Amino acid sequence: MNEYLEKISEARRAWEEGPLAKAIQKFPYLNKESSRFFTPLDIEPFDFLEKVGFPGTYPFTAGTFPIEPMAGLARLASLAGGKGEIPGAGGQTRAAIYSGYGTPEDTRDYYKGLLEQGSRGGPNLAFDLPTQCGYDSDHPLAEGEVGKVGVCVDTLADFEIIYEPYQGDLNLDRIASNFTINAPANVIIAMYAALAEKRGIPLDKLRATPQNDILKEYIARGTYIFPPRHALRLFRDSLVFITRHMPNVNITSIGGYHIREAGATREQDLAFSMAIAVEYLKVGVEAGLEVDEFAPRFTFNAFGGSMEMLKEIAFQRAARRMYARILKERFGARDERSMRIRQAIGAHIGPSSTTLQRPLNNLTRAVIGAVASALSGGRPLPFPPYDEPLGLGWSMEALQLAQDAGRIIACEARLLEYTDPFAGSYCMESLTDEIENAAWEELEKIEKMGGAVAAIENGYMQREISRSAYERQRAIERGERLVVGVNCFTGEHELEVTTNRLVPNPYDPERRERAEERQKARLAEIKRNRDGREVARLLKELEDLARKEEENLLPHLIQCVKAYVTEGEICDVLREVFGEYQAVSPF
Amino acid sequence: MEAKTGGKVIRVLIAKPGLDGHDQGAKVIAYGLKDEGFEVIYTGLRRTPEEIVNAAVDEDVDVIGLSILSGAHLSIVRRIMSLLREKGVEDKMVLVGGIIPAEDIPKLKEMGVAEVFVSGTYISQVADFIRTRLGTSS
Repeated sequence: MNEYLEKISEARRAWEEGPLAKAIQKFPYLNKESSRFFTPLDIEPFDFLEKVGFPGTYPFTAGTFPIEPMAGLARLASLAGGKGEIPGAGGQTRAAIYSGYGTPEDTRDYYKGLLEQGSRGGPNLAFDLPTQCGYDSDHPLAEGEVGKVGVCVDTLADFEIIYEPYQGDLNLDRIASNFTINAPANVIIAMYAALAEKRGIPLDKLRATPQNDILKEYIARGTYIFPPRHALRLFRDSLVFITRHMPNVNITSIGGYHIREAGATREQDLAFSMAIAVEYLKVGVEAGLEVDEFAPRFTFNAFGGSMEMLKEIAFQRAARRMYARILKERFGARDERSMRIRQAIGAHIGPSSTTLQRPLNNLTRAVIGAVASALSGGRPLPFPPYDEPLGLGWSMEALQLAQDAGRIIACEARLLEYTDPFAGSYCMESLTDEIENAAWEELEKIEKMGGAVAAIENGYMQREISRSAYERQRAIERGERLVVGVNCFTGEHELEVTTNRLVPNPYDPERRERAEERQKARLAEIKRNRDGREVARLLKELEDLARKEEENLLPHLIQCVKAYVTEGEICDVLREVFGEYQAVSPF
Repeated sequence: MEAKTGGKVIRVLIAKPGLDGHDQGAKVIAYGLKDEGFEVIYTGLRRTPEEIVNAAVDEDVDVIGLSILSGAHLSIVRRIMSLLREKGVEDKMVLVGGIIPAEDIPKLKEMGVAEVFVSGTYISQVADFIRTRLGTSS
């Protein structure tokens, strides 16, 4: 230890024994851990270029990009000269807000409304659960679920309807689409490709992001179909097809946030997400591609999801650095674009941080998440809207409040004027190291088991997450983990604050009620009018191809959907060939 | 802790009906009730009302806990209650947990659901409710 650090060490000891000890004596409810103070001793040795670097350069600790694009929002707003309406930042092509209602007609009309209000974004589709699980709307398991939590898509005809408003200067080569779909992602990718081909648009002009992150479905979210190894073969097929034919389409959007929402700790979230990313990267390499050919098309959905703001800022920094290191050191990537974590939003809380009790408090919580995002090199987008836990869908009021809170953070608080303002902070650098080190340790444990797929097959990840979720609940019940309005600061004299939902929701409840019936009728009609023999032939061929591991199913899936073979029929054939995943017991 | 009815340990089936895969709540309540001394069986995801009722009969459970977050609770619970009546086992206690809008809670109770537990509930509250109702709070 050099003289400088020794001096600090001595001064620290004197401070602890003197002023700190005195303060703790005076306030008996305080202890040393009540408020930690960091010094250069906590970050030794610190090499700025190795640990932090410049924003948008390796190891990306300070930020994915040199400047976060939303940092220009304040400037755009002032250029508009106080006249209100301003265009989106930097002419980016982005999909609209996550949406999808009832039948394809209902969703089409919703997007029509958005376009009439000046939106330029392509569909950002939420699919209903039958679609996500590979069942058609007329399947017995779909009963009661058609068109709920998202739009139902059975055949290409449904895509044709949803995309009706997107023509001319909003055609498929001019917009970006987003598909929250995993197990049957290849069918949806095939539908988008088929729709483009029918409209005469070359596939290399398409811009889209399918979620296509199947491995996290086994440990969070639960919309899996096939056993993980077969699911990875399907992932390989889309990875290779997209790389060769759709260079502007993202291959996957890896979700750490879902894993956290399922109950994972911060370190598990990071380690499991990285283990999953490593598995996907290996798939591409094993398919014979150079890592720099496809890794730049990996994206991340979002990471994070807790209220502990400083730790979440550290988490974002650690995640960026860890991913960059994995790409560079383990996969030998040379292109810096391969090493970037591109994600839709940065730090944010998740729905599991919101409370049903005193729901307006959730706005405060979401804003804290958005501030964390702004301070960690991301966009300040408060998520979720405060009425998330009420189970009624987001009200327009809550949506506007969330959106405006982000604008206030950018334009009034001007938090984006400085990139990674905590860089070099003894506290922040120490927390960042701590999280990254813990995640590396956990990742190595998973790699010893054989990687993410092995750790899913043996139930390790599922059980670890469930245990963490249970621990969290017990900590709340014991009062060790505080949730305002739930286990503390509650009392008899509490105000009953109600929230209004005065602005009508764009989705008419009567239409919603009849969605299942309408979709089933149309599906029956499509089945009547298509060439049944051709459908049978295509499905037989699909079965043969699926049995051959080396075949890429994507080109054939495009043929299938063009003949209006349904998503459920395709998935049934694949279930026959691959089998279905059986979940492990949580006990 | 005691969790008995008529001298035997209370058996609880935790079930996830429908296609929704958000099972944190179901698993947490399953672990918690087990620690509270109940015998717990967890069905796993995507169970049909028929499968749930059959499992409840086969496993001879006293309580059926349904975890529903997808918004499909009214139709699912209606179907399960009618299957329980068909099988002559409507005496089994049915509990619902999950994201249930306040206005739907009386509707579920009218169908025969003993209690609805929403976000913010403690496991001990659920355990106490079951013990009290099944008359074993001794």
